[in-house]
Amino acid sequence: MSLLRVEDLHVAVDGKPILAGIDLAVDAGEVHAVMGPNGSGKSTFANVLAGRPGYDVIRGSMTVDGDDVTKLSPEERSLRGLFLAFQYPIEIPGVSNMEFLKAAVDAHALGRGEEPPSAVDFVKRARVAAARLQLNPDFLKRGVNDGFSGGEKKRNEILQMLVLEPRLAVLDETDSGLDIDALQVVAEGINAFRAQDNAVVLVTHYQRLLNYVVPDRVHVLADGRIVHSGDRGLALELEERGYGWLDN
Amino acid sequence: MAGLTTDATALAEMILAQGPSNYAPWLDRGPHLDLVERRALPELRAEAWRHTNVSRWYQAVMEGPERDNGVHRIEYAPGIEVVDFADPRAAEIQQLRGEETYRLSAQPIAALNSLLLGAGVAIRIPGGYAARSPVRIVDLPAAYQRILVIIEPDARVELIEEPSTYTHRLVEVVVRPGGQVRHRRQQAASSHRECSLLAVRVEAGAHYELSQLSLGSELRRNDIIVTLAGNAANATLRAAWRLDESRHLDNQVAVHHRAPGGTSRQTYRGFAADRSRAVLNGRIEIAPGAQHSDATLNTKNLLASDTAEVYAKPELEIYANDVKCGHGATVGAIDADAVHYFRTRGIDEQTARALFVRGFLTEAIDDLDAAQDLGVIQ
Repeated sequence: MSLLRVEDLHVAVDGKPILAGIDLAVDAGEVHAVMGPNGSGKSTFANVLAGRPGYDVIRGSMTVDGDDVTKLSPEERSLRGLFLAFQYPIEIPGVSNMEFLKAAVDAHALGRGEEPPSAVDFVKRARVAAARLQLNPDFLKRGVNDGFSGGEKKRNEILQMLVLEPRLAVLDETDSGLDIDALQVVAEGINAFRAQDNAVVLVTHYQRLLNYVVPDRVHVLADGRIVHSGDRGLALELEERGYGWLDN
Repeated sequence: MAGLTTDATALAEMILAQGPSNYAPWLDRGPHLDLVERRALPELRAEAWRHTNVSRWYQAVMEGPERDNGVHRIEYAPGIEVVDFADPRAAEIQQLRGEETYRLSAQPIAALNSLLLGAGVAIRIPGGYAARSPVRIVDLPAAYQRILVIIEPDARVELIEEPSTYTHRLVEVVVRPGGQVRHRRQQAASSHRECSLLAVRVEAGAHYELSQLSLGSELRRNDIIVTLAGNAANATLRAAWRLDESRHLDNQVAVHHRAPGGTSRQTYRGFAADRSRAVLNGRIEIAPGAQHSDATLNTKNLLASDTAEVYAKPELEIYANDVKCGHGATVGAIDADAVHYFRTRGIDEQTARALFVRGFLTEAIDDLDAAQDLGVIQ
């Protein structure tokens, strides 16, 4: 059974059709890259997986571990192991990173019918993840994304992923706006996360992240559909020839 | 207005008929009586009372005290002098105050505090004294109350006004050179109509810090005047409020920079739900000669319903040419993108909204435990 199975997914935003029948199966232990030109529906796909309000599923379904999540709320999806790293992480002044993460970790523990971790255990976990992403421990005390640089925001998303340990991580253009050093740090975080019992969907415009996080499969999205799938070689070919090559 | 009996005139007549309070007879009530005789109490449409119906408060005054008299409940450490206004010693402490902390013409309803006064306390923090525990004003036993605090040079104190019920409370704080005050006010939700005036004078090199937490009441009006009277005086004002149902809160704050080199920081955060109404009028006045003043005011408000109302207005009056002054005011709804962000991390919608509001208000709160106990944050 695939960890993520998307079947004939049609999505409209404000009544405008964006996704026109996506089929995708991702197995545990795999990393899939979803690439495509601007406006192809990549971000819509990432957001609809996470249950963003206003993104209406017109037809089709999404299942995680065989459970249909199409109609679930964003928090229910999260508790079932789905994680979205935002393309534009939201700033929440006054709520510290630590508070935010602890609320999330507690919600997940309660969702599994477990006691929330002690403050000490939690802080340890958060510090380990911060260190892996080369973030100063003081980073955890700052307001969520408040005044963060673009690179810090993206690293913070990966930090949350490492702490929450989802089954399926969907990373929406996590590589955009990163300099080469930050890109490597983020890639190391993703590689550290990779395991036999989870999966990653990397949504990206460029192939450069794929130099560091080597995907098992590459899909190309155009006009709301997957028009091409292949192995890593497809990403390299796209880089060389550009998305225009697919039109021919 | 000839021939019309307004609430202001009806009240004035009532007060003149019954005569002023004989509590603390040493108080000079002449100017207050004169103000009432001249019928100079604000009328319903007075500009300063644009958002609060002053007649509704006058009605509460005319209906008589909504509370029984009891005893003073004040906690303080040894070495601090605390005297009832009935005691002639209070007159001597008032002498230490020096010039007035506010102008009666600008605060006319303060006249009613004098004329109806039933309980007062004068507090003196001796020079150089560093209080180990706060002065805690739990309650004063009357509807019209007065608190006078003199912080002598280089003394340090924390002053706490606990939730209490009154019709009018006048608090005067004088911080002598080098003194430091942390003043915390807690205002619980209530069904009363309450007005207060807080008038503070901060002298050279002294520091005054206000932290006010409020839930609304049927009518609550806080006038706050802080005068930076000496060189390099410093004031930090923070207020956070949470209003629901049809509660009302009107904060009218003025910071006067009267001497060079003063610094003032004002931070306000408010949350208004249901049919509540929140007002924040924040005024910064920089007098001629108050060069190198540095003043900021920032107020942000969250509206949680279509029927709640927020009026947020910063005002600047600057008469010196070498100053730094900044202000900002925003009113908005709970950020739907932020709520979604929380939810994608497994946090349910209700908790997400509560955490968001809590974070928002926290920017103007320095004591989270007190804010939590009072219910300003949840």
